[in-house]
Amino acid sequence: MEKFNGFYRKFSGPLSKVGLSPISLVAFILIGLFPFFSPNEYYTKLGVTCLIWGTLAMGFDFSVGYINVSNWGYAALMGMGAYLSALMNQYFGVSPWIGMLLGGIMAALLGLLIALLTMKMDAMFAALLAWFVGIVLQNIIAAVPDITRGAMGLNVTQLFSTPWAKPYFYVIFVICLITFCALRKIVDSRFGLSFRALGQDIEAAKAVGISPLKYRTINFVVSCFIAGIVGGFYGHYVGVLSPNVLGTKNVVQILVLAYIGGRGSIWGPLLASFIIMPVFEAMNSLVEIKYIIYGLLLIVSMIYFPGGLCKIPEKVKSLAADRKADKASHAAKA
Amino acid sequence: MINILISGILRGGMYVLIALGLALVYGVMGIPNFAHGEYYLFGAYATYFAFTAFGWPPSIAILFAAVVGFVLGALIEKITFSPLRKRNTGDWVTNAFMIGAGIQLIIQNGAQYIFSANYFGVEKLWDGNVKIGSFNVSYDRIIAFGIAMVTLAVFWLFLKKTKTGISILAVADDETGAMLMGVDIKKIHTLTYALSCMLAALAGGALISITPAYPTMGTAPNLAAWFTVILVGVGNLSAVIVGGFMVGLIEVASTYLVGAAWQNVISLSVIILILLFKPAGLFGRKQKV
Repeated sequence: MEKFNGFYRKFSGPLSKVGLSPISLVAFILIGLFPFFSPNEYYTKLGVTCLIWGTLAMGFDFSVGYINVSNWGYAALMGMGAYLSALMNQYFGVSPWIGMLLGGIMAALLGLLIALLTMKMDAMFAALLAWFVGIVLQNIIAAVPDITRGAMGLNVTQLFSTPWAKPYFYVIFVICLITFCALRKIVDSRFGLSFRALGQDIEAAKAVGISPLKYRTINFVVSCFIAGIVGGFYGHYVGVLSPNVLGTKNVVQILVLAYIGGRGSIWGPLLASFIIMPVFEAMNSLVEIKYIIYGLLLIVSMIYFPGGLCKIPEKVKSLAADRKADKASHAAKA
Repeated sequence: MINILISGILRGGMYVLIALGLALVYGVMGIPNFAHGEYYLFGAYATYFAFTAFGWPPSIAILFAAVVGFVLGALIEKITFSPLRKRNTGDWVTNAFMIGAGIQLIIQNGAQYIFSANYFGVEKLWDGNVKIGSFNVSYDRIIAFGIAMVTLAVFWLFLKKTKTGISILAVADDETGAMLMGVDIKKIHTLTYALSCMLAALAGGALISITPAYPTMGTAPNLAAWFTVILVGVGNLSAVIVGGFMVGLIEVASTYLVGAAWQNVISLSVIILILLFKPAGLFGRKQKV
């Protein structure tokens, strides 16, 4: 055990420079090797789905878990990235790779607008305005069928000419890995401390000179940028877009992952995605039941397990510490 | 012009009813109730079944909707918000918002599962219409508006004149103070939530001949109610009455001017202007900045 601990420490130092820990490194290696072990195409595609929603949930958690702002337009920002990239490709022949980046930048700009308007106020206003913006974007896309084909669905050029999911898997895997490392790095930096302070007690944070507007806006814009990039990928992967992509149902999906995974950990939502998405993919034919279960999960986890999955290691540790203390006191008595 | 004014006011009357419940629940309990539109849905389904399946007269059917709204509201508060209040850690407003989202999901998809995505509409509750200028207004709309206004008056008297109503306002003002004065906070919370659901359900019931019952019908009134509350300032009860009419007029006028698809764009622009220049709302108290 001692040896293992020493070993662990030796590696965790240099790894933390890129935002990883030995455990997350092993997890990412395992995920990266997954396509070679996946028995068939279905499972590889499932892996892509888990990575897409996991990355989105991480970006969402970056806002909700640190500055305590839940972004109810997250699916809309993602959908906007998807539509922008797809339309740029269709009308101007812009390469999907650049399109994805443009989608991210556009989502970040929209996020900046929302943030500048609401970040001075209660977190609820940001959630509501983002939700409004999402509904309006959805309406606009449905209202200009000449450009977006509206509810009929827009056909999007795929990223690769092969029908296999493996290349897509590695693209989203790299996006996910970079997102994870970048977010962990930010969270562990001075910025992360400011975010946390603002999320926990905004008055106290202001008293020590942390500007809510500045830090919350930075956080919100980064989070929106991720949504746009992943959205661009989503469009070029799925190949068909409809205004429904921007809908509240997708926000809820991201939200449930973030809450079950646990807010304020970044890794929790990603883990939750790998646990929850396969189950719900299997239930795809039972749409209503699926969303009813989402609702129940949300309520039950809010009331009874507000910490989510990411609090489990801490709980185990504290239990183990308690037991150790117990043993020590017994030994002392004996 | 006159028809915009009339439809706007008729629509606004209903928004007042819905938004008042939303503002009340936020003021008293601190819950930004995201599921508020879903109680409107309860009212619509309840009236539909009371009217067509049981064959009850329209006035009883609408009353039935109010009762259903009240009972379900009380039940939902007891099952979700009440235990959350006991165990809550962290930011109550955000957590309550999430619970509301969960309730919305369950009700919306539950309705779709049970009734499928069909429209349950009633052609008319009362026959006939009134001519105002060159514009025909059906009795249904007038009576629905009348119901809204009477309910509003009764509700206002209840809040200002009865002991229970005053307790509700006291809790909204200062929870600890009200508790020290011997107000049963738990009871007031459940009652407030139930009353707010009742108002929304009543609106849903009264409008059954205009908007049929279907699973996602709650989204539009939810949006309009939030629009109203942000417009006049959060937690400002009397201003909601003015705000509801304003939202009704804005919506009808923008539908008339730019078409239904772009109507929300106008609403959003108004909200952005409000947030830019008067973040506390038109009649709001100063927002903590």
